[in-house]
Amino acid sequence: MTLAARVGIGLRAPHYREAWERRPSLALLEVHSENFFGAGGEPLAWLERFASAYPLSFHGVGLSLGSADPLAEAHLARLASLARRFSPAFVSEHLSWSSIDARHANDLLPLPFTEEALAHVIARVGIVQERLGRRILVENVSSYYAFPESAIPEWEFVSEVARRSGCGLLLDVNNVWVNAANHGFDPLRYLDAIDPDVVGEMHLAGFEACEGLLIDTHARPVDDEVWSLYRSAVARLGSKPTVIEWDADLPPLDVLIDEARKAEAVLA
Amino acid sequence: MSSLAETQRRFLGDLYGEEGLAPGAAVYRRNVLANLHDALAGTYPVLRRLVGDAFFREAARHFARAHPSTSGDLHAFGSQLADFLASYPPARDLVYLPDVARLEWAVAQAFHGPDPRRLDLDALAGVGEEDRYRVRFSMQEAARLLESRHPIVAIWQANQPARDGVLEASGPERALVYREGISVRVCALEPVPWRFLESVHSGATLGAMAEDAVLGDHVIAELPQWTYCGVIDAFALSPPR
Repeated sequence: MTLAARVGIGLRAPHYREAWERRPSLALLEVHSENFFGAGGEPLAWLERFASAYPLSFHGVGLSLGSADPLAEAHLARLASLARRFSPAFVSEHLSWSSIDARHANDLLPLPFTEEALAHVIARVGIVQERLGRRILVENVSSYYAFPESAIPEWEFVSEVARRSGCGLLLDVNNVWVNAANHGFDPLRYLDAIDPDVVGEMHLAGFEACEGLLIDTHARPVDDEVWSLYRSAVARLGSKPTVIEWDADLPPLDVLIDEARKAEAVLA
Repeated sequence: MSSLAETQRRFLGDLYGEEGLAPGAAVYRRNVLANLHDALAGTYPVLRRLVGDAFFREAARHFARAHPSTSGDLHAFGSQLADFLASYPPARDLVYLPDVARLEWAVAQAFHGPDPRRLDLDALAGVGEEDRYRVRFSMQEAARLLESRHPIVAIWQANQPARDGVLEASGPERALVYREGISVRVCALEPVPWRFLESVHSGATLGAMAEDAVLGDHVIAELPQWTYCGVIDAFALSPPR
């Protein structure tokens, strides 16, 4: 499915009813894949409804593409069956890891940017794409810690994953900004390294400053600096389907829709 | 062993540990504990209301360290919370907590569980009189039966969001958790219906149930309500005697 470059929102359970009753004009509804891993019940019933009215995007937070332990077969099987059932416009995962020895952090942990990690992630993306029978998008994550063994700049690492695995990029503009501040690089240099053709989607979200670090909390409006970086990203990489993410301290649905309208104005 | 595995093993061990961390890594430790706490709070809202936020947060922290998450799907986290609470010293006097936790876990499983089937009443009506003793009913997959020395259903109901938490029951209760369409239902069962559903759950045939000392004549009276609400959603015939 090809989407006009317009804007959608991350849809969370407290907004289901209102979103369904109002059916706001949005290009895309993005949901966390794992929230629909059950065999049935209310979550899947809602998803069926939304699937009848909107293109969907399945955004996974738990597959742990970068883990050195084996891919979780049951997790991948659930994702594959969900993707088969709903044929979403996008299936995305994060360029991060969260488990080792089958113990999970359930958080998006940063990878050491090494040749070993790069080769490992590329192989895993290949397995996932083959298993799902489709291209996935991989998202750059925000990070608060840099491993001393990292030898490759993040933008090269991200670009190489896409180039060598054939996956697309879900470019989270807020995460570029957060990492530029936390690790001291020029966010425009990051954008310049990205091949426009591999970017399938962009994300916008809000961060908070805490103890000298920017934290990607998804609990705030998109920052002015990030809007400005988004305009640069659109100018360099083209208009891409964009999703506003908000997860904690969820505001009224209208706040998300207003943010989506702001992004649409940038794309117009 | 690869150095990626070693790096990850060390980093994750640090996050679940209690040693001091670099400021950046400390953000991840806080995130991990917050994510696991939030997952438990989502699954166990009644427990949290019963013990209060501070107690719950502390218990969640101890639980997460004792039983780290083993799935990338946070809905799978917390299955052992009831057993953990049974031996968690600060909860020693709250003897009903583990069973309330078991009930809430059953509710969460039912919420995401398989949709009930529709009992094929025509096929059931078509079973000849001589074969009825062979009918073996099955309960919907999402249904759970729980027995407690405490009034867990009354506690659960009194602590739903719209309720004041005041308890109107005491003594043991037997709970049934099931799905009606996409809604999760929780109810307390009297001894006869409990015995009936327990027999169904264990795979007893109608013939065996009719010979049961407790059930006996009640079997035919119990059947309609449990087929009507969908708790019984299928049947099969066991081989002839």
